Amino acid sequence: MGPLSREAWAQRLGAFRASPSAFMAGADGEDLGRDLLSDLRSEKLSEQTKVSLLALSLEYPAQLWPDVPAAEAAATSLLDTMVLLPPRPSALRRPLLLAATTVLASGGVLGPTSGASCRLLPLLLGLASGGDVGRGFGPISEQRPLQATACECLRELESCKPGLLGGILGLLRSLLGQEGPIQPLSLLLALALRNTLVVQPRSGASLQGLLMAGVSSTGSGPWDWTLAEKGHSHLQPQAPCWPAAEEGACALAVLEPSPEEVRELRAAVAQLLDTSYLLTPVAQAQLLWLLGWALRGLRGQTPALFKPQLVRLLGTAQLTLLHAVLALKAAFGEALFTAQDEALLLRRLTLAAQHPALPLPTHLFYLHCLLSFPENCPLGPEGEEAAPLLLGPQLCRGLMPSLLHDPMVLLSRLHLLCLLCAEDEEEEKGQVQNPQWYLEELLAGLQQRAALDGGPRVLATLCFQASYLVASCLARQPMILTPLIQGLTQLYRARPVLAPHFVDLLDRVGPELEEPLRVVLQQEVVSRPGRDEALRWHLQMLAKVAERDAQSATLSFLQAAAAHCANWGLQQTLLRVCRVLLRGGGGPGLADLLQVLARQLEDPDGRDHARLYYILLAHLAGPKLGVALGPSLAAPALTSSLVAENQSFAAALIVQEAPAPIRLSVGPQKATGPLLVLQLQVEALEPVYSLELRFRVEGQLYAPLEAVHVPCLCPGRPAHPLFLPLQPRRPAPAQLEVRALYTTPTGITCHAHLPPLPVNFADLFLPFPQPPEGAQPGFFEGLWDSCLPKGAESRVWCPLGPQGLEALVSRHLEPFVMVAQPPTSYHIAIRLPPNSMLLLRLQAAQVDDGVPVALRTNDWAVLPLAGDYLRGLSVTE
Amino acid sequence: MAQRAVWLIRHEPGTPLCGTVRFSRRYPTVENRAKVFNGASYVPIPEDGPFLKALLFELRLLDDDKDFMECRDSCTHINKTSIYGLSIGNEELWPVVAFLKNGMVYASVPLVEQTLSPRPSLISISGISQGLELLFGIQDFLYSSQKNDTELNTKLSQLPNLLLQACPFGTLLDTNLQNSVDNNNFASVSQPQKQPAWKAGTYKGKPQVSISITEKVKSMQYDKQDIADTWQVVGAVTCKCDLEGIMPNVTISLSLPTNGSPLQDILVHPCVTSLDSAILTSSSIDGVDDSAFSGPYKFPFSPPLESFSLCYYTSQVPVPPILGFYQMKEEEVQLKIKVNLKLHESVKNNFEFCEAHIPFYNRGPITQLEYKVSFGQLEVFREKSLLIWIIGQKFPKSMEISLSGTVTFGAKSHDKQPFDQICIGDTAYVKLHFSILDYTLTGCYADQHSVQVFASGKPKISARKLYRFKQT
Repeated sequence: MGPLSREAWAQRLGAFRASPSAFMAGADGEDLGRDLLSDLRSEKLSEQTKVSLLALSLEYPAQLWPDVPAAEAAATSLLDTMVLLPPRPSALRRPLLLAATTVLASGGVLGPTSGASCRLLPLLLGLASGGDVGRGFGPISEQRPLQATACECLRELESCKPGLLGGILGLLRSLLGQEGPIQPLSLLLALALRNTLVVQPRSGASLQGLLMAGVSSTGSGPWDWTLAEKGHSHLQPQAPCWPAAEEGACALAVLEPSPEEVRELRAAVAQLLDTSYLLTPVAQAQLLWLLGWALRGLRGQTPALFKPQLVRLLGTAQLTLLHAVLALKAAFGEALFTAQDEALLLRRLTLAAQHPALPLPTHLFYLHCLLSFPENCPLGPEGEEAAPLLLGPQLCRGLMPSLLHDPMVLLSRLHLLCLLCAEDEEEEKGQVQNPQWYLEELLAGLQQRAALDGGPRVLATLCFQASYLVASCLARQPMILTPLIQGLTQLYRARPVLAPHFVDLLDRVGPELEEPLRVVLQQEVVSRPGRDEALRWHLQMLAKVAERDAQSATLSFLQAAAAHCANWGLQQTLLRVCRVLLRGGGGPGLADLLQVLARQLEDPDGRDHARLYYILLAHLAGPKLGVALGPSLAAPALTSSLVAENQSFAAALIVQEAPAPIRLSVGPQKATGPLLVLQLQVEALEPVYSLELRFRVEGQLYAPLEAVHVPCLCPGRPAHPLFLPLQPRRPAPAQLEVRALYTTPTGITCHAHLPPLPVNFADLFLPFPQPPEGAQPGFFEGLWDSCLPKGAESRVWCPLGPQGLEALVSRHLEPFVMVAQPPTSYHIAIRLPPNSMLLLRLQAAQVDDGVPVALRTNDWAVLPLAGDYLRGLSVTE
Repeated sequence: MAQRAVWLIRHEPGTPLCGTVRFSRRYPTVENRAKVFNGASYVPIPEDGPFLKALLFELRLLDDDKDFMECRDSCTHINKTSIYGLSIGNEELWPVVAFLKNGMVYASVPLVEQTLSPRPSLISISGISQGLELLFGIQDFLYSSQKNDTELNTKLSQLPNLLLQACPFGTLLDTNLQNSVDNNNFASVSQPQKQPAWKAGTYKGKPQVSISITEKVKSMQYDKQDIADTWQVVGAVTCKCDLEGIMPNVTISLSLPTNGSPLQDILVHPCVTSLDSAILTSSSIDGVDDSAFSGPYKFPFSPPLESFSLCYYTSQVPVPPILGFYQMKEEEVQLKIKVNLKLHESVKNNFEFCEAHIPFYNRGPITQLEYKVSFGQLEVFREKSLLIWIIGQKFPKSMEISLSGTVTFGAKSHDKQPFDQICIGDTAYVKLHFSILDYTLTGCYADQHSVQVFASGKPKISARKLYRFKQT
């Protein structure tokens, strides 16, 4: 495609600017970057058109050349275009330099491996030094503007890659001493100096060496990337510009330079400050921020260097300059500003915050600065807005808010007034110019204005914002809150249409205002006849302020209102109030009202709704009702609110599956009889209420198990063991399936599966009732004999641990010992419900590592279990 | 201290979008830094369309304020500065510096060189003041000597080029946009002395220093027991110094007559090199007593090429120049009004113009008017519900004039008649506009002989005084 005409380009650029993303997604998008670069060399296009092409590449390089190779290629092409320019004056050199810099810096290309970087940097440095950079760089008349531009480009590159210019600090200093353009060189040196101070301690380079390095270190040699690369100085979120806020967390290493380094540094800083009056005010401000930041980290550096500048600066109200002075104040505090200086600064700031010659945004910013003033000795908590100590009522006299002010000025000054009132409360009361009185008057005026029928919403908003501000600053001052509440009630009486604002205010303020305001507003609403034009607003208001325990006045208001709720929207609002009352558990009157509504309302949706509420009220207990009607998580449906509401009921009323809230385990058994009871240990992982544990056994081994109920369990609190009666149908071990049903603290009913509980063979053991003293041997022998012939007999070798037989018996079989001749012989009788038994004769043998056991049972199925049990005894020891 | 982007948006109420983006400029290298500095809290600069919508919404410049919207109207959504957070998609772009002036919204997004959560305090962000200053600079450029839309369009079309000079990488170099262009156009090849960056070149020609003092008085007279009347003079001293040499030094002294009210709240141009501490501390906060410093007020400076405001001051004169009395009585559909004005004897009775505006707010159009004036003429603007009493060049010998009349209003229609938040019911005002040439209320003057110039050639010095007045 050949070069486009001027018009075609204008159209194309216009389309791109309208929406870059849409344009790039279109068919034409891909070629834009390439066409742009090639048409820059076209001879058919005017310089003006080319400048507009370059303007685009200055703003949207990431869209035009999205990846690193493309950006590198684009930068190279831009540099080539510059070299190819004829040696006459051209408006293109400057934007070409800017564009190449932008593309390199924003494309992430800048680095020692990038060919374009290695071409651009020496070129910029050459231009900045005012030296001859060879052909293609136009006539001498263009040198000075280009010199300044080159400095700007270098500054931008240094900003994006701190440390890049660390190696040429000395050169920059010497240039500044010569005839270079003062502002670009000053700013460049200041930035490079600050960045070097950040990078230098990490790289280990000598500051003095850097500052002193002469012109020889640069010139035609390759670029020195040491500081930028080895210093690991890739742009990191550094210490914030506002130094005081970050004591300790400051990323600037505290430097302790040598005396020589200090001398050089001071000389460099003094050099910059001495000529700073030659800079434009905004540039002076930048210089002060940079130098303040640079010197802040240097231990032992007196910031007195700045002092000569301050008087000059304090006289102006130039926004950036005064801001920079505040930054110095924050950085150096008492070291630079004595108490008197601080008072003077505050005075100037107060003056500037109201000076009729300054514009409104400036006033507002200075007011902010007053409330965030970096005091030498701050008292309050950091980061919170407060009136500085030295800013007394006298100084603030001119900063009182008035109804004539712009809303932002009013709020800003009101905040200050509130802070003064809060202080005033702590000090003495009853001054002549009482701020409280002033505040009261102002609020009354705001309310009066908000009450204006048909007035713009912004007036109402302002009134409520002011009320909120006052309520949050002066919550504990009834002297102020009482008239505020009265005024707001009057406002509602005058303009119920402001109900949403009232609801919003009630939602946001603390209980000091919320409670009393709610009460009076409720009284205000229910005292209205229910057929007011503003019924919609009254109902909306009532939904917020209605007492949960439905008062009769509320109910009769609703009853009266119901007759006038002609449309769906109003009915819904009415029902919303009912819903609020329901959440509080309702009351006898509410049930009647709902029944009336279920019959009377015109809209079927409304009737259904009322009926649903009635059913819920009749069937659910109070707390459950509260949960069921809690804030709906479902998005409001457009068609029927019943549908939407059902979703939240579903959430609240249906039992929900949840992860196990408790841990259950089988505890040590105390076989005492006569019934078999499994002891369970329970541990709560989260608070649960009304816990019901349900158990089930596979294969009908046991009779159905009863559920166990626990009223409440809390994590960290010791829980009593639970007792689960077992009724085995056969004496066999089993797995119990466990499910938990419980209520969460939020009132939702949940259901969880717990891991199965093992019931071991030994858990089924019960002792025989003890025969009378002396009759045990006979009783045992009788049982022994009764086992045969129907039962079974066996002999098992039971291995013994180191403790021997006596320990084994006392540990596992103690409750079942019928006859004992310690330590060698034990007769043991175990009852296994429902009607089996297991009899053991243990007789210590000659050898120590085991004991022969003779066993008999009346149930042959027990034999293998008994064998396993005995063999396992020593293992569990 | 850099800006990520700048916009100019024309506010056009009544159109579908309520505005159009007239200019925008993005700074990708700054944007890259924002990405790194802000980390996880980084929110990219949106395209013009979404930005326009979000900004106008936040500034309440969209036409729909019918319904309460929490994100805009909530009582906690308090803005106390011209810095906003705009919700764009699900994210919040902050800080956005923005203000509306003459139907144009000026906006920029300053770079914050740290994370945005928790939000740093505004005072700690150097880009805020730089951003405001840039926008003020653009505003000055657009509205200096601009008369109509065509001129505005011409100026807007020059803006990209100007910003390329004054703010090439998002870091502002000079607020005076015109200056930075001149700076590049001046081909001063070799200079023996350092050339200030705020001075584009050197003057060649006849040396001349012009000083002009303009005072305005803002006065509010309530004639009520519980509210004090106020009047405050605000003065501005404008200079134009055509002097040869790179940095000529000039000292201008402002003097007051004996018993003149001292100048207070003095703010000086940054080119002023030093200030007496008495000037620095003289403030209206302290009120006036005999010990107050009353001049002469010396301002040593090295002037820029262009005309500039050397200083601003305020002053508390002992009496308002014109004492007013306004009475309004509502009688059914009629409104009876009475206005008396009395010029103070010490004030020069020679006006460029003098007129009293008597507006009626929150009412219908004027349907009938019967009146009597002791002096001057009355003009009636029926649809605007406004009366203008043209007093002319001089008060009569008695120094007192009066107007009385009865006004009847038609039915109120919200669109045409002016609405006011303050003038509800019988709250109303009369506003006086006048101007007196060659006179200052404070008596402040710049004595031509006291002007010292340290430059080659003997300059011609001219001083001018102008007094403008607005009284309510």
